[in-house]
Amino acid sequence: MLYDVRLNLHYDYPYPVEGGRHHLRTMPLTLPGMQRVIAANIALSPKPSEQTAFSDFFGNAVTSIAFRKPHDTLDLTMKARVSVTRPEPPLDISPNLEGLGAEIDATLTLDATSPHHFVAGSLHAPLEPAITAYARDSAASSRSVFELAFDLCKRIHADFDYEPDATNVRTLSHEAFRLKAGVCQDFSHVMISGLRGLGVPAAYVSGFIRTIPPPGKERLEGADAMHAWVSVWCGREAGWREFDPTNAILAGNDHIVIGYGRDYADVAPIVGVLRTVGRHSSEQSVDVIPVAE
Amino acid sequence: MIAGEPKREAPAGRSGRSLLAGYRPIAGVTDEMLDASGNVRPGWDMLISVLSDISYKDRTERFGRADQYLRDAGVYYRVYEGQGAREREWPLAHLPLIISETEWQDISAGLEERAELLERIVADIYGDNMLVARGLIPPALIAGNPQFLRPLVGIQPVGGHFLHFCAFELGRGPDGRWWVLGDRTQAPSGAGFALENRVATTRALPDLFGDMNVHRLAGFFRQFRDTLLALAGDPGSRAAILSPGPLNETYFEHAWIARYLGISLLEGEDLRVSGGKVMVRTVSGLRPVSVLWRRMDADFMDPLELNGESHIGTPGMVEALRAGTIAMVNALGSGIVETRALLAFMPRIARALNGSEPKLPSVATWWCGQPREQRHVMDRLDRMVVGPALSTRLPFEDPEATRPGSALDADERADLLARLAADGAAYAAQEDVTLSTTPVYSHGRLVPRPMSLRVFAARTKDGWSIMPGGFARVGRTNDATAIAMQRGGQAADVWIVSDRPVKRETLLPDEKGPARRYASGNLPSRAAENMMWLGRYSERLEGTVRILRAYHVRLAEAADPALPLLKTVRAYLDFLGVDATCAVSPGVLRTIDNATGSAGQIRDRFSPDGWLALNDLSKTLHRFADKVEPGDDAARAMTVILRKLAGFSGLVHENMYRFTGWRFLEIGRRVERGIHMARVVGALASTKAPDGGLDMLLEIGDSVLTHRRQFSVNASRRSVIELLALDPLNPRSIAFQLDRLKAGVAELPGNETGHLTAAAKEVLNLHTRLSIWEAKDLDGAQFNEIVSGLGAVYDSISHSYFV
Repeated sequence: MLYDVRLNLHYDYPYPVEGGRHHLRTMPLTLPGMQRVIAANIALSPKPSEQTAFSDFFGNAVTSIAFRKPHDTLDLTMKARVSVTRPEPPLDISPNLEGLGAEIDATLTLDATSPHHFVAGSLHAPLEPAITAYARDSAASSRSVFELAFDLCKRIHADFDYEPDATNVRTLSHEAFRLKAGVCQDFSHVMISGLRGLGVPAAYVSGFIRTIPPPGKERLEGADAMHAWVSVWCGREAGWREFDPTNAILAGNDHIVIGYGRDYADVAPIVGVLRTVGRHSSEQSVDVIPVAE
Repeated sequence: MIAGEPKREAPAGRSGRSLLAGYRPIAGVTDEMLDASGNVRPGWDMLISVLSDISYKDRTERFGRADQYLRDAGVYYRVYEGQGAREREWPLAHLPLIISETEWQDISAGLEERAELLERIVADIYGDNMLVARGLIPPALIAGNPQFLRPLVGIQPVGGHFLHFCAFELGRGPDGRWWVLGDRTQAPSGAGFALENRVATTRALPDLFGDMNVHRLAGFFRQFRDTLLALAGDPGSRAAILSPGPLNETYFEHAWIARYLGISLLEGEDLRVSGGKVMVRTVSGLRPVSVLWRRMDADFMDPLELNGESHIGTPGMVEALRAGTIAMVNALGSGIVETRALLAFMPRIARALNGSEPKLPSVATWWCGQPREQRHVMDRLDRMVVGPALSTRLPFEDPEATRPGSALDADERADLLARLAADGAAYAAQEDVTLSTTPVYSHGRLVPRPMSLRVFAARTKDGWSIMPGGFARVGRTNDATAIAMQRGGQAADVWIVSDRPVKRETLLPDEKGPARRYASGNLPSRAAENMMWLGRYSERLEGTVRILRAYHVRLAEAADPALPLLKTVRAYLDFLGVDATCAVSPGVLRTIDNATGSAGQIRDRFSPDGWLALNDLSKTLHRFADKVEPGDDAARAMTVILRKLAGFSGLVHENMYRFTGWRFLEIGRRVERGIHMARVVGALASTKAPDGGLDMLLEIGDSVLTHRRQFSVNASRRSVIELLALDPLNPRSIAFQLDRLKAGVAELPGNETGHLTAAAKEVLNLHTRLSIWEAKDLDGAQFNEIVSGLGAVYDSISHSYFV
């Protein structure tokens, strides 16, 4: 599939902020055999005094910007044309939980895709006995790690309510778990906490998803938001597989990846210290428009 | 000397051995002074003889001199108790620990090897990961470690090395061998305190220090300063110490080392990253810095890429490291080799990398994430100290989380065994080592106390250099966990003694080379602001105290407190936030606390004498607040305060070098005194002021005698305003303050081009207006105009130099 993706982030500050430095993670990645960025750019207003780019530890594209002049708004528009061609889901060749543990131990590397980075609890997805117990129910009925993860993915979809007002970007997995509600970010964090509690390496994926319009209707421009799902290490042979607990599906050609991390904190679209007190307001809009090939 | 060596005969015929008489080392424990046969080890002999020969009184006096030095130098550390923290006097154990040069050479060789090994491990963890690939380090210990800072992976450090300054905690076991108990690579503290221990101890024992061929410490610091300056590259760029600030427990040391090495002390707030370079916000704008010796944990260094909650870091710091524009001592992320569980793998790594056993062993450690080790620990819990695997604290500094198996009761033991079985990977165990003892002088006799030794290693152009000495921590009791200073332990100097005379070194510059001067105008904005406020607060205090004295003198004499003059002054003081119904009100205490607060932020730029004078003033005021009664008592107390304030001002004005910092302090004083005079003259010399106001004003303005000489005995509005507002020769007049301000502002950075700065224009404007006015023109409105004009001067300085 070929998409034109457009992301707009807009911040209004209560009064002008002096200076400020931010890291942006909004650009889709080129992932060999899966996703290719044909063209992408970021437009910012006001224009930053500095703008550089680098790749972070997990290989995500980071844009670093700094402002020296006082400003009271920040507006970002990222546009990209991306081609997504995920392979058909292969046969399940993943080991069971016990076998997975041995395979993790035998993986003697710390490169960015090493499972070792994704087993410990993290800021937004700490290990939590209640979530581990919830996840263990999926382990009982599954013969493989892949089955386990998919079952957990579907259960979260079934048991949790999609409620944008229930949580915010700082919500931790155990809070969302107690509420049994939240958005894609929360569902993903709960699934990650649960899997890690069982010793299964799980990563957070930030990205976009195409909203499929109902038959015969125009798709709603700007109705979409940034999306998140979960990547699970299913053993040395099967590798990383991606699950979307918000939609109870495997990630497919409707999913466009921006980046991977241990949780939201590693891939937040914008981080940075605002030298101001008081609240700021923000808006976000996303269009993912399929392009005829 | 180790226990197995041949017996050493105690020197016969010497009189002075009385101190040894009651000294009984603990059975089965190595003692630093006596060997296993009870003989005095080399080096200790002379110390014990000399101390035995002198009287109890003499000894007390000598040790008192050391304590006096520490008090005078203002050496303190911060202890945390419950909610708060306070500064505590430095607990010096007066006897040094003595180690022979021969034994020290072995320790040094072992530590040089270890420092290099740590360097290779850090480089590998942030580089090739060969140690993980070869199975020498379990990947989980790195990947799940909060000290593993992913943003630093792949960044090559400027200068090529990750580690430049390390410390090691050593202990000596019952077999007489030295063991490494822990490595400090994050931001090791204690080297400055070691120097202070040295200075203090030599105050007590100058003769012995001279006679005993003790190795000097200065050379070590000189070499390390050379390393820092070499990392800075070209002479125009600079090196600085980066401190978390005055609330840190070892801030004293940061300020002290900065002064000793002659380099700047900075805080995160002083720094900005601009165009990939780290810059210091100074009163002359942004200036580059190229080497930071950080005393801040790496995690706090950059809220953008490391701990997002850090308020003391600098956004963009990691980007500057990525750009290779700043040398960091030590590299961010180096703290990972402090991880306790990694000690378990050190012997294997040493064998793999060096091809031999380490020269100096580390304390036996087991990571319970491996089934065999887990079993081993669970079977021998009584001989183990067990705690969190990823902890970077030394076992005896962490008594809540890390406990000896032998100290657990049955329930605790069962609980620990269950946790070890369920989640072994979270735990590391270490052999419960019995530390050696060293003598401590207590109430006229010597007692053995457990001790551990901190030793420092610095990278030089010729490899690692080990400080010939160190910092011994000595327990208050026989309990080894009582060594930590936070738990009441003491600190002792460490003397490495030679058979031959040693080289005497100082940090004084080489007489042959040209004297090096540092560029001025590099004053950090934060320091300038604190200087200015120190000037303002100390002046505000003086102004308030002068009014209070004049008030209480009159209150004592007046029958009726409702006298109009007293009422007016009370109302005026109330406007200043001072309650005149008590001698020292909370408002006054707030001012002195603010003054010491500002001074505390700039300890490195402030003479120890000035700091002591200010602290003395603060203590006196706080004491008076509890005791002194209004009236005559208060008037006398205020005279004491004024005398102490004069002492402080004298130190500042007669002793401080006229650097940019001093100018800010001076400007602060002049602004404050100008405001004070304009307000108080406006209040007491107004046409509506009550009787007696003019005389009181002359007293507040310290101008009674001058007035009598220049005018008649009776004060008039005109004569008082002439003297206190317009007379440029009276150091208390408003005109005098403006003259000084004009000169002071002209010397600040930004005037080099000949154009007037905004602050200079404000001063000139006010100065011109005052010059034209005559005494008869001045009343409330004009005095208010002066007050707001001085406020505008402060604002423009603040805007130009502090933001």
